[in-house]
Amino acid sequence: MALSTLQKKQLVAVTGLGLVGFVIAHLTGNFLIFKGADALNDYAKFLHDLGGLLWAARIGLIAMFVIHMGLTANLVINKIKARGSNYAKFENHAQKPSFSARIMPFSGVVILAYVIFHLLDFTFAEKSGIINGVDQGLYGLVVTSFMDPLHSAIYIIAMAFLGLHLSHSLQSIFQTFGLVSVNRLNTIRTISTAIGVGIAVAYSSIPVYVLLNF
Amino acid sequence: MSGESINLKLKVWRQNGPKDPGRFEEYQANDVDTSASFLEMLDVVNAKIIKDGGEPIVFEHDCREGICGSCGAMVNGKAHGPKDKVTLCQLHMREFKDGETLVIEPFRARAFPVLKDLMIDRTSFDKIISSGGYVSVNTGNACDANSIPISKENADKAFDAATCIGCGACVASCPNASASLFTSAKISHMALLPQGQTEAKKRVVQMVDQMDHEGFGHCTNTYHCEGACPKGISVENISRMNKEYLKAKLKG
Ligand code: HEM
Ligand code: FES
Repeated sequence: MALSTLQKKQLVAVTGLGLVGFVIAHLTGNFLIFKGADALNDYAKFLHDLGGLLWAARIGLIAMFVIHMGLTANLVINKIKARGSNYAKFENHAQKPSFSARIMPFSGVVILAYVIFHLLDFTFAEKSGIINGVDQGLYGLVVTSFMDPLHSAIYIIAMAFLGLHLSHSLQSIFQTFGLVSVNRLNTIRTISTAIGVGIAVAYSSIPVYVLLNF
Repeated sequence: MSGESINLKLKVWRQNGPKDPGRFEEYQANDVDTSASFLEMLDVVNAKIIKDGGEPIVFEHDCREGICGSCGAMVNGKAHGPKDKVTLCQLHMREFKDGETLVIEPFRARAFPVLKDLMIDRTSFDKIISSGGYVSVNTGNACDANSIPISKENADKAFDAATCIGCGACVASCPNASASLFTSAKISHMALLPQGQTEAKKRVVQMVDQMDHEGFGHCTNTYHCEGACPKGISVENISRMNKEYLKAKLKG
């Protein structure tokens, strides 16, 4: 049975919500960096020791990522077909869509590029980094990486796009599941933007912390 | 009452038929009375084209008072022109400046093929309506007025949804050429009222499927449509459609 565009969107929203869950969980884990090398390294070891469970979670994540991207790609193709011929001139009315809404596919592609970079950067890298003459493992790797301002900048820019992606997508989830009413619309949009910006700032605080302290 | 007059340059989309690739042609519209409506301005331009032995610009219109939904074109990139919450027939030439160039093209969507010039075929909207936009009515004696209680809030929302005139500006302005605002307004209009409950589940599924089938795009919640709608129909209706659809699919 072919899925309707509405069902595809609802699946995009469910997988997106799952990814948001991951982003928040991952953020709380990353914050251990503020507690020091042992806290972060022990946490990484704890995750790796989960073994099969970790792989189950990874497979779940990859599945959500693939479904999310596959369906959005499909919807983008559908959109080009649906317009048919292009306008010579197109402008927004006074009530404009937000910037974050207009760049969703672009911010999505930036996040994809970032995730690939990020996995090569930390997950598949050798977990070592020397600070003050001592190899501090994963903690050392993260800290020495972020000591390079360019490296930090890449992360901060990527997080800005993640923030933009989430600013639009969180309120979008409410709309897609029919939980929006006119009286709550503005509140939902404000909260969505706040969480999106909050997540971007929170992640960016890690490279900023390293740059300021090491 | 006659106002001031302005001179305009028009770049109008001319297309001989659905298969013709079409092109822009330029016209000079001089001494346009600013109290004229946009369609009256086109009438005057057409009169001159006819006098000069040309083919008049074809555009659709009927009521010319903003209630039938026949008219509509993109004027300088905006559906129904620069002013919010009016149809093209209710747009007046005082909204434009002397010497301005206006780019005028039809609403574009695969599901709205151009018939000629600015006139498009909106049969796809009719098909969405006939796929489920109706209610069951008991035959026999007319029932008493006000015998079915309806809350004020639902009555208002249903009425707001029912003000959709089906002009297609939402589709035209949507980056995905989605008909979600139109379809959801038609669904909401009935889903909010007790009379619409009998077919509620069937209606939403059939109308959404028909919308896809006609080749409209999907909604990405950008809300361009709400800004372009001459009747100010709210995207809350799309949210309601999504909920009704999910309910219908989950409960079977
Ligand atoms: C500044 C922000 C971030 C930092 C410092 C960071 C740090 C890390 C580190 C150290 C790992 C490796 C853990 C290990 O395998 O030992 C990791 C894994 C990962 N990160 Fe991030 N991360 C950040 C942001 C993000 C974001 C925003 C996403 C996704 C949207 C993301 C997606 C992933 C994924 C998918 C993994 C692999 C998880 C797994 O292997 O199960 N990261 N991150
Ligand atoms: S002609 Fe009827 S709405 Fe414009």
